[in-house]
Amino acid sequence: MELNLSAVLDSWRFLLSGLGVTLLLAAGVTVLSLLAGTLLTLGRLYGPRWLSAIIVFYIDSMRAIPVLVVLVWVYFALPIATGLNLPPFWSALLSLSAHLAAYVAEVVRAGIQSVRPGQVRAGMALGMTRAQILRKIVMPQAVVRMLPAFGSLLSLAVKDTAIATVIAVPELMRRADAVAGQTYAPVEVFTTVMILYFLVIFPLTRGIDMIYRRVSFLGRS
Amino acid sequence: MTDTLAKLPQGSTLPDVVIEYRDVRKQYGEFVALAGVNLEVRRGQVVCLIGPSGSGKSTLLRCTNGLETMSSGEVYFDGMPLSKDPRKNRLIRQRMGMVFQNFELFPHKTALGNIMMGPMTVLGLSEEKARTRAEALLAKVGLSEKASNYPANLSGGQQQRVAIARALAMEPEVMLFDEPTSALDPETIGEVLNVMKRLADDGMTMVVVTHEMTFARRVADHVVVFANGQIVEQGRPEQIFDAPQTTRTRDFLSHLGWDG
Repeated sequence: MELNLSAVLDSWRFLLSGLGVTLLLAAGVTVLSLLAGTLLTLGRLYGPRWLSAIIVFYIDSMRAIPVLVVLVWVYFALPIATGLNLPPFWSALLSLSAHLAAYVAEVVRAGIQSVRPGQVRAGMALGMTRAQILRKIVMPQAVVRMLPAFGSLLSLAVKDTAIATVIAVPELMRRADAVAGQTYAPVEVFTTVMILYFLVIFPLTRGIDMIYRRVSFLGRS
Repeated sequence: MTDTLAKLPQGSTLPDVVIEYRDVRKQYGEFVALAGVNLEVRRGQVVCLIGPSGSGKSTLLRCTNGLETMSSGEVYFDGMPLSKDPRKNRLIRQRMGMVFQNFELFPHKTALGNIMMGPMTVLGLSEEKARTRAEALLAKVGLSEKASNYPANLSGGQQQRVAIARALAMEPEVMLFDEPTSALDPETIGEVLNVMKRLADDGMTMVVVTHEMTFARRVADHVVVFANGQIVEQGRPEQIFDAPQTTRTRDFLSHLGWDG
């Protein structure tokens, strides 16, 4: 088999701008899902019982539905059901974030609950309020303890963007598909895409691991 | 003095009584942890609670600042009854320092940061004032050079001394110690007991749950012996250790190998 590298070299700008869309989408999903997941957990742990029940149902159902189904539903069914018509990028951002938020919520909950109850008692003994204890004692330790799990969630946030190809978001996978179709060089193009994803995600997860090893003592009570 | 006493309603606390326990009971399901405890702690007094494990002394200590709820009974602090709702006892907790068996230092804060936490978040002190206060307290417990160490880089004894300083930073009127040396290596117990001894010498009111009989004997003004959720004997340390009146006390002391 002969490699046709010109297929990749001729369209590298096109592919790289796809990678840009991928990274933008991944960054948006990361921020939104962290925010939403944290709020979900706080509502679940400290909110009224009815809110807690709704959140648990949301988390359970999101974890039981494939992310592809959520994406397709938001893009094709949501406009008909509600009249809310989102462009592809925003549909992808919304559905990927909504899906990942459920996993973030589980990680945040595990992190908060893993902080020793004695730490809360120590804060209470000082006369701190529940909110102060959560903000200044529990959360800082929980965040440190969550870091390794956040590493895997972050890699999920990047990888899952490839699914957005089915609703024609012009991200890396979509563009690669187009180039491969035009050049008849799927081996060269898709191998390049694999390498690109790896080059983005590998340093991310390794980097978080390294940070965790340096700061883990801050969460060890 | 007699005038003040006459004005006080029947059964109310005497002026120099800081903590008063009245018929305090605590039950966990079938298990009776406290079976009606009556006790008074006076200002400046060092009261040591001793007795076998599970006899209720730690439970009583945690009821003192409302970290544990009572099944029935009353605890008065400075004449005020503790609320049944633990959230409402925040103001009382601010006036009582507490030291735990497992230190419970905040791992994400340095020694100095641990001591500054209370003054800054609860008392609203500026960072500068809190720092000055924390530095003075670290010096008092002999750990000035460890100010920027995180708990992970302190020995057990050092952690417990920082924990004492953290409690003192709230300028409490009473200090509660819950088996402060039980989790320590034998060689670091002494440094913690010394800090506690100095605190007692300074006139701090202290309630100490301890298994350190030598400390109780040397430092306590009043020793209270617990068994099965009840006080079986109390009095001056010489009385408790040299001439125990009850079999329970004698059994407990001989169990520890105490020979007077």
